[in-house]
Amino acid sequence: MSARRRTAELARPPEGRRREHWRPPRGRHRLPPEVIARSQRERLLAAAIDVVAEKGYAATTVADLTKEAGISRTTFYEMFEDKGACFLAAYEAAVDVLTRRVATAFEAEQGWLARVRAGLEALLSSLAAEPRLARLALVDVGSAGPAAQRRYRAALQRMTPFFDEGRDYAPNGRALPANTSRMAIGAVIGLIVDEIEEGRTERLSELLPEVLFATYLPYLGPEAAAREVGEDAAPAGK
Amino acid sequence: MPPSSSAPIGPKDLGVLIEDERLPAGREDLLEPLDPHSQRERLLVAIAEASAEKGYTATTIADICATAGVSRATFYELFKDKDDCFHAAMELSLADAMGGIVAVYSPDKPWAKMVRDAARSFLELLASRPTFARMAMIEAPSAGGRSYELYASGKRVLQSLLERGRDDPMEEEAIPSSAARAALAAAESLIVGQILAGNTERLPELLPDVVYITTVPYLGQEEALRQAREAERERTAADS
Repeated sequence: MSARRRTAELARPPEGRRREHWRPPRGRHRLPPEVIARSQRERLLAAAIDVVAEKGYAATTVADLTKEAGISRTTFYEMFEDKGACFLAAYEAAVDVLTRRVATAFEAEQGWLARVRAGLEALLSSLAAEPRLARLALVDVGSAGPAAQRRYRAALQRMTPFFDEGRDYAPNGRALPANTSRMAIGAVIGLIVDEIEEGRTERLSELLPEVLFATYLPYLGPEAAAREVGEDAAPAGK
Repeated sequence: MPPSSSAPIGPKDLGVLIEDERLPAGREDLLEPLDPHSQRERLLVAIAEASAEKGYTATTIADICATAGVSRATFYELFKDKDDCFHAAMELSLADAMGGIVAVYSPDKPWAKMVRDAARSFLELLASRPTFARMAMIEAPSAGGRSYELYASGKRVLQSLLERGRDDPMEEEAIPSSAARAALAAAESLIVGQILAGNTERLPELLPDVVYITTVPYLGQEEALRQAREAERERTAADS
């Protein structure tokens, strides 16, 4: 399945409206079993995002998931061992989509400053467009136990190469602390999580100057970081 | 040196901050180290251990009692429910963390020195209490309720202390108001990563990184790098 298709499956309309999921025709249909299984799995992953976003991970039950996805309990247990395994799969799918979007935007630009700006813009706009996905990927994951927390860390690690280029770009690059990239990612994610917690997910794109500053800061120092953010933000600029 | 690194912090600031947040501020009223003969304290250690193993959400009162070797009846004599027990364990952790910061705080100390000392105290505390470190840094942020509030209060105190670095009005325009929050998030993320990787005992080695990221918004790159080297020198000198 293409990335675009999965993105569409995982995409959610703004809060409040429930999107109808496509379901195979009822009764005796001729779709091959693997197609049905795949669509059931996708519905289930989408349901996991919806339900966990609405009720929180702790309160979510397997019954909630099967009801939301319109599948039987038996089918659920054929696919996943338990609620946790289903959540992890939904989580992986969501992170895949996000990381791919960031990577595509990053790689389309030349020069670290512009690349990081494009990558962060893509991250913020993706999260803003899909508030439930944003909450699942960055907030609810914390309460889903050690396995989910490790996946979350691994997902953050996938962003490291985007930041590491800053070390080559920075005049002082070699003198910087070993964990500079990890810390810059932590700052960006921390600022984003605070916005989500404050209920401003849909306005995340407005956070761009602050996350850009937090990203440039450890590599360039405050003066140069502020200057570069300012130039980026200028209306005459790109 | 820029003025912000040498400006002392106001004399009553820290106490007021901690009081404003209604945080437990000292170690005096707490048993230190934890008393293995106290059932209450065994339960506090047990909830930290059990939630480190399977996550706070999945932890049951049965898990906590089994880990502590304490009966269910005793648990309910001491605590209302799981959340109540978790909250008590978080209070203990916060008291330790704030106590560590109060201990290195002095009104005459330059800001940068205070950051170096506070960061070292905090990292060493986490390293010395791995299960509590995990509970406070990983489980509490997503636990919700009163325990989350304690975690958030502790963070606000640290954030206010960092913002003292910004006492030069010229800087107000130059850096975003979220700089201290972002710096703390950066340090926290690094610490959490190390805890999850099983390197809690080695957290003090992150001191130069933490000092760099928390001072760079206010002192600039070169001075922050100098502060990071100085912090590492102080730490290794104290070790040997």
